[in-house]
Amino acid sequence: MKIKKAHITGGVVIVLAMGLAFNAFQSALTPYVTVAEAMAHERAVQVAGITVKGSDQYDLDTNKLVFTLREDGGAKMVVEYDGARPGNFDDATKIVAIGCYAKEKAVFEASELLVKCPTKYEGRVSGE
Amino acid sequence: MNNLGGLCMWLGLLALIISSLGYLFLLLKPDPVGIKTTARLGFTAFTGCVTVASISLMLAILGNDFVFSYVARYSSRDLPLIYRISSFWAGQEGSFLLWVFLGAWLGLFLIYQSGSQEPRVMLVYNLSNLFLMILLIKQSPFHMLAVAPADGNGMNMLLQDPWMAIHPPIVFLGYAAYAIPFAFAINALWSRDYDGWIKPGLPWAIFAYVTLGAGIIIGGFWSYKVLGWGGYWGWDPVENASLLPWLAGTALVHGMILQDTKKQLRKTNFFLVTFAFVLVIYCTFLTRSGILADFSVHSFTDLGITGLLVLFMGVFIALAVWLLAMRWKDLPAPAKTEIAYFSREFGFIAAIALLCMSCLVTGLGTSAPLITRMMAKASKVSTDFYVQTNLPLAVLILLLLSFVPLMAFGRNQPSRLIKKLPWAVAGAVIALAVTGWHGMFDTRSLLIAIPAGGATGLNLALATGLARRHFSLASGALVHLGVGLMFLGIVASSMYDRSEKQRFFQGATKPAFGYAITLSAPQVVGHGKGERLELPLDIEKGKARFLARPDIYVERKKGGQLQRFIHPYIKRGIFSDLYISPVDYDSGRKKAPSNQIVIKKGQTIHRDPYAITFNGFDIRGMGQNTLTGISVGARLTVAYKTEASVDLTPVLNMGQGQTNAADHREKLPGQEAAFVSLVQINADEKTVTLVYEGSSVNTEKAQNAEKPKASVILDVSIKPGMTLLWVGTFLMLFGGVVGIIRRRPR
Repeated sequence: MKIKKAHITGGVVIVLAMGLAFNAFQSALTPYVTVAEAMAHERAVQVAGITVKGSDQYDLDTNKLVFTLREDGGAKMVVEYDGARPGNFDDATKIVAIGCYAKEKAVFEASELLVKCPTKYEGRVSGE
Repeated sequence: MNNLGGLCMWLGLLALIISSLGYLFLLLKPDPVGIKTTARLGFTAFTGCVTVASISLMLAILGNDFVFSYVARYSSRDLPLIYRISSFWAGQEGSFLLWVFLGAWLGLFLIYQSGSQEPRVMLVYNLSNLFLMILLIKQSPFHMLAVAPADGNGMNMLLQDPWMAIHPPIVFLGYAAYAIPFAFAINALWSRDYDGWIKPGLPWAIFAYVTLGAGIIIGGFWSYKVLGWGGYWGWDPVENASLLPWLAGTALVHGMILQDTKKQLRKTNFFLVTFAFVLVIYCTFLTRSGILADFSVHSFTDLGITGLLVLFMGVFIALAVWLLAMRWKDLPAPAKTEIAYFSREFGFIAAIALLCMSCLVTGLGTSAPLITRMMAKASKVSTDFYVQTNLPLAVLILLLLSFVPLMAFGRNQPSRLIKKLPWAVAGAVIALAVTGWHGMFDTRSLLIAIPAGGATGLNLALATGLARRHFSLASGALVHLGVGLMFLGIVASSMYDRSEKQRFFQGATKPAFGYAITLSAPQVVGHGKGERLELPLDIEKGKARFLARPDIYVERKKGGQLQRFIHPYIKRGIFSDLYISPVDYDSGRKKAPSNQIVIKKGQTIHRDPYAITFNGFDIRGMGQNTLTGISVGARLTVAYKTEASVDLTPVLNMGQGQTNAADHREKLPGQEAAFVSLVQINADEKTVTLVYEGSSVNTEKAQNAEKPKASVILDVSIKPGMTLLWVGTFLMLFGGVVGIIRRRPR
């Protein structure tokens, strides 16, 4: 049976596309890590913890939300978030900060905050 | 009967089983008298039971019958009527019930429509309803509490929006509809009538495309209007969960149209229809099983239905794959195997491939936590992943839409294209000119904007031309015109939006994007369970003046937690929206200087007008029984201005429940109401924490200062092209509705 040219072309295109997609997939993964690991590698990660009470404030010069995140083990780091304070931030049972640790500034620059609150409701609670 | 609903669920399950057995008999023994009627009656009884159950849940909600755990969790006495109704589907169990309810009523149409295909179609359709019924019996919305609470938890403030009230029913109507083309397809394989499922199944596939699409768009519209982050699509797992079956279903519609007209893609379509249907279950599994709980802003709870959902998927995949394998050799090859590159067929196939690829990469990203969990630590992908992978696919789809709709099936002469292609070119040039005029030559946006302009131009010309012949002929062109407009809107709103955060002080006017914005007196208004901080803004631009009233709503939940909700203000315009979202509020009242003093043994601290020296501990209650606890005093020497210093010993009682420092405070000399008390000791470091009450030089100054000035940080943004986006999405759905009418069964 003769394999059609179109099939070869199609196959090559699909393999290429899948390779590209997989590559993008791997580089876009943000693993869950501890504070210590986040500080060691400056790559996109997510860190879970709670806000240290009273540590959050809006920085007037940079217009960023700054707070201290403490993970279960007790390790702390300062998180800077360029966005509105999520609606249920004040009473979150858990906060997941997604972003990169910036060594020279010694802060974790979060691009996204996932806020878990103690409600049972399984719908949207807050946007980005 | 006080739990009619729960009883109805069991009766409904029974009726559904009777109906299924009836249809099964009908297949084994051709047409025994009365069996068909029994099967149909069974299904009708199932519909009746589910309807009665739904009504009883609705009545329980409307009647504040909080003995039902579901009603207590999602409704409350103070909810307005419309949101009381929508709390029916605010939780998982209720939304599953809604799904079954809608599915049951669609099934009645299906019996009427399916004709000779009825037994097998209904058997497969019953099977999918059977699974939902089992889910519902396992996780029933009719679970009753031992004691009815006085009031329910109520509904999340964000969901109290008309758009969110209608969003779930529309999504679930789409979900329910995806089972119908699948049922027709299984019947086709089973009965070896490989093309017979297309005609009756296609309107349903388009119906599912329209309803699920409408649900997605309403969700986006709500997100933009209510959430205040200024976007309409965040690639959150819950959003993706409705997008995935929709993309697969859109590919399916194309495949079915091609099979209908050219008898092509018979095998592919069986894959597509299975893919779309199984994705509905898979996405339900992703969002309802708790697997993504750590990766989404939506808190999913595991109701213990994960295993059932996996079984549900497995059964349908096995059924479809097994039947397809059995019939693979038997499936007739298409009449013409060679497909010309330059043909309408090729465009269809390319569109299907691109839509499937988009579905696969989006699905890969959404499933990332699941996949990575098997290998190492569970991770999610950043939202950039979705943009990066879907961007080239979108560009290719838009390019196809800029010329393929012109071509006929079979071989095409290039000359045919010349007639109408100028429209596409004109559209592309206009899009380029507009982008260029704004001075934004960003590669990404040009890559999308130019072909989107082409697709818009071409399909606008086609739609007007076709509509003149017969309106229903324009269905496809309308959908594609909508796609072009939507992508123009996406480019404009996401790449050319301008935004700035500024602090606005009360009474002071500040400019932002040509608007002069003044914050007048903020007001706190009680509302529902919380307080609404209204931020009235006077906005002026040229001669136009208007009042904007974004607000920050704070609600105290059970257990005392506070939850903040931001309500943005949106001034919609034809070309661009003004979007104002409050970020943070400051009442302007200065915090009193800290009245706590930490002092080490032997140290002297100056706190105007006092100088306080800590000499050492005074341990009194040592050795006493544990009931009274231990009393510790701090021996202090306090000097007031130039007067002679006095010795004071404030005391702290420990080990005796709560300590109340105010009971043990010591009067300070000089001032009228000045006290010092001991609140904490640290024996290891030999320090004590004192609380000082009374006026100091600092607070006197603060009192003389001007009145506090409230201020708010506002995120002010200009979002162009939102009108294009909404008009485009509307046309995408409207074209689909026209398509259903055009392909309705006759």
